[in-house]
Amino acid sequence: MRRIGLRALAVPGLISLAILLVAVAVPLLPLADPVRQDVANRLAGPSAAHWLGQDEYGRDVLSRILWGARVSLSVAFAATAVAAVIGTLLGILGGYFRGVVELATVRVAEIVLCFPPLLLALLVVTLLGPGAGTLIFSLSILFAPGFARVAYGETLSARALDYVTAQEALGAPTGRILVRTLLPNIAAPLIVQFSLTVASAMVLESGLSFLGLGVVPPSPSWGLMIRGARATMEQAPLLLAWPCLALTLTVLLLNLLCDRLRDALDPRGRAAGRPGFLRRVLALPAAAAPGASVPGLLAVEGLTLQVPGPAGPVQVVRDVGFSLAPGETLAIVGESGSGKTLTGLAIMGLLPPAVTPVAGRILFTGRDGSVRDLLRLPEREMRRLRGRDLSMIFQDPSSSLNPLVRIGVQVAESLRAHGVAEGVKGRVVALLRQVGLPDPERQAMAYPHEVSGGQRQRVMIAAAIANHPRLLLADEPTTALDVTVQAQILALLAALKRAEGVMGMVFVTHNLAVVADIADRAVVMYAGEVVEEGPVAELFAAPRHPYTAALIASMPEGEADRLTAIPGAVPQPWAMPAGCRFAPRCAMAMEACGATSPALAEIAPGRATRCLRWKEMA
Amino acid sequence: MLAYAARRLAVSVALVWVVASLVFLVIHLIPGDPAELLLSQGGIAPDPAAVEELRERLGLNQPLWTQYVAYMGGLLKGDFGLSLQDEHPIADEIALRLPRTLELVGMAGAISVAFGVPLGMVAALRAGGPLDRALSAWASFALSVPVFVVGTLAILVLAQELRLVSAGGYVPFARDPVRHVALLLVPAGTIAFGLGAVVFRVMRSSVLEVLEREHVRAAQARGVSPAAIIRRHVVRNALTPVVTVVALHLGTLLGGTVLVEFVFNWPGLSGYLVRAVEARDYPEVMGIVLVISSLFVLLNFVVDMLYAVIDPRVRHG
Repeated sequence: MRRIGLRALAVPGLISLAILLVAVAVPLLPLADPVRQDVANRLAGPSAAHWLGQDEYGRDVLSRILWGARVSLSVAFAATAVAAVIGTLLGILGGYFRGVVELATVRVAEIVLCFPPLLLALLVVTLLGPGAGTLIFSLSILFAPGFARVAYGETLSARALDYVTAQEALGAPTGRILVRTLLPNIAAPLIVQFSLTVASAMVLESGLSFLGLGVVPPSPSWGLMIRGARATMEQAPLLLAWPCLALTLTVLLLNLLCDRLRDALDPRGRAAGRPGFLRRVLALPAAAAPGASVPGLLAVEGLTLQVPGPAGPVQVVRDVGFSLAPGETLAIVGESGSGKTLTGLAIMGLLPPAVTPVAGRILFTGRDGSVRDLLRLPEREMRRLRGRDLSMIFQDPSSSLNPLVRIGVQVAESLRAHGVAEGVKGRVVALLRQVGLPDPERQAMAYPHEVSGGQRQRVMIAAAIANHPRLLLADEPTTALDVTVQAQILALLAALKRAEGVMGMVFVTHNLAVVADIADRAVVMYAGEVVEEGPVAELFAAPRHPYTAALIASMPEGEADRLTAIPGAVPQPWAMPAGCRFAPRCAMAMEACGATSPALAEIAPGRATRCLRWKEMA
Repeated sequence: MLAYAARRLAVSVALVWVVASLVFLVIHLIPGDPAELLLSQGGIAPDPAAVEELRERLGLNQPLWTQYVAYMGGLLKGDFGLSLQDEHPIADEIALRLPRTLELVGMAGAISVAFGVPLGMVAALRAGGPLDRALSAWASFALSVPVFVVGTLAILVLAQELRLVSAGGYVPFARDPVRHVALLLVPAGTIAFGLGAVVFRVMRSSVLEVLEREHVRAAQARGVSPAAIIRRHVVRNALTPVVTVVALHLGTLLGGTVLVEFVFNWPGLSGYLVRAVEARDYPEVMGIVLVISSLFVLLNFVVDMLYAVIDPRVRHG
């Protein structure tokens, strides 16, 4: 990633460098004197002696453009350098010492930002009179607060870092910490700010010169040249074009350099792909037509999901399968990174754009009794199922409700999206009452921030069950909530299930205690694979996979004498172990575990495990 | 909402007072005597009697404190003092010219939003596609052309070569509304050339960011159509940063129309300021700077109110 950023940087970087070199070398070049007048040949066109012609006083235009670059760039650079030194100093001091120092540095500097910049520059010019010195002075005042802000913000985050704290603890002198440790760490954004500021300074300088309040004639400056050429634009429009072109291209180049620099230093900021819901790739090979004999409500078969990685595509979910009967509750259990949430999103057809299904089927029996493969359903048909036959509740109710839209409107969307047009208001209130929201008539008019987290999740549930879905997917619906609220939400879901009868539920969670409360059967996932499956009671009483056993042992409410955490972490998808994916963390691992990847074996009707040594666990 | 507005208004009034005091202090605390500076044209030492007479007229011989009270008292009555050049009341001239500048800035803002917001939206929805890349490249270019270059070239092309419009000037609305608008559109369009690109960029990245939010996915999960998602769950959420940026730029423009007014010969506040700067007319400069800065503060107040309208959470903040 970084290398791409640097390569993109090369072109604008080299051109900028070339312009800089020309500006430095101008006195050495065999150019005409930029201020020598030749009134007899005023406004003369291009000639061998004057490649770009002569201006309103007969001065050589090419020479003035190049000398103008020198003037403009040196003013811009000098002003930016002064601003950078002052601003960075103020920002670092303010960010490092905080308190009164912050007030005296950063906050004072920010007063400057209360004035429109050109206005402030004009004020300074009034006081000091025009000229290059005044220009540099006023521009550096204008731009110092920008540097102070950047340095301040970066210092705030850098000073909390371990190595800065460590140096403080070791008693290093403050000055050395600031210069040696802090400054290099906040340099990157300051460099970006520098190139950005040079461009702005050039624009302001040329603007002031254009007004006749900047660089003093006869010194060549692009702004002054444009000012001069305006008067004669009818006779010699090209005279106007050259300095305009020079100025625009230089600023464009600096801006480009700045953009690329930012990308290279901070790859996170780079533009992401196109938004997910506008594009749903259905690049899957056709699967066997869903037979009419498929039993139950949902059957996931061989689901494999892939994301692009640094070294080719990576499978984040591999060959996952399970099934669900109407009215049944299935829990998908696993640590974060196990692929359980992606599996849920795949059922809804709401995978992020980077994740593509590459194999498998998701067979779903709709309300009309027909069986569809959700993985291959066109977006338009999928949308008709979402919120009606299939519903989903998300993990964080605070972010899954739009803060700017009233609660009632968001619940009503579920109804309206599926053709309900009359009596929506009454049904919304009834739904809110059903999920236990106090005073539903009034709450329907409330905004999400006006109700508690638990109530927000009740609202999400109300929206999800509005059309009596056949299948409700709940992705960690209680994780973001307080413990007492968790229990209430679980009770609500259980009550709804009883009321709805045939509604099946897939409950994605990392919390085994919740599984015991709510689910009939459970699928345990690890590192993108199903490792064990079975009825909840059996799974708890007699786990047949070491991972399940370890999860049960790490339950705070578990029956184990001692709480044991599972050592290590879920492997990263691009660094999967060769054999059994759990082997590196497994207490029972033997040599064969690292060599072969065990298959998911059915050990009893409705029970399966992916472990070579399952028999020893009995 | 009302309490929030009152609180913000109090802060704004305090800020205006701070700005007024600062402007006063800057003029009076800089090294050198304003009267002497004013009269010393071309490096020739001024006549001491004339300096003394001017000091008396400006009240510079009184203690700073007395001057400050007199200045603030004048401001409260809407009195900005008299011009040094022609003894014309400064407040009258500002009252005449300010509406013209506001009109220009307002029109420029309207044009920018009118094409920046929809184009930013379209580019974000087609992010990475050819249209998005073309629009983004155009925005980079538009942002790099200084506004006086755009204006000068616009005159060169539209007025000199194509003879579509006149090269600038001003006609009061009451005298000839059509010509008034025609003369307004070119300078406003010149400002909007760059400002529209800013709006475009902010809108584009804001929409992209909102599309990634969880509530958009939740709306999808309810089966809401893409059009309704964009209308109800994307546009309004994406507008908050746009409002901030547009307001900030409009504020900057209040003092930044200098160049455009100069290029198009638009008799607004900025032209007055440039003339005052050139003549070193301190009372005029102080008055104009104060008015523009106060408008800047007022604009920030309006933006805060707009936030409260867009985002219900702010009202309670």
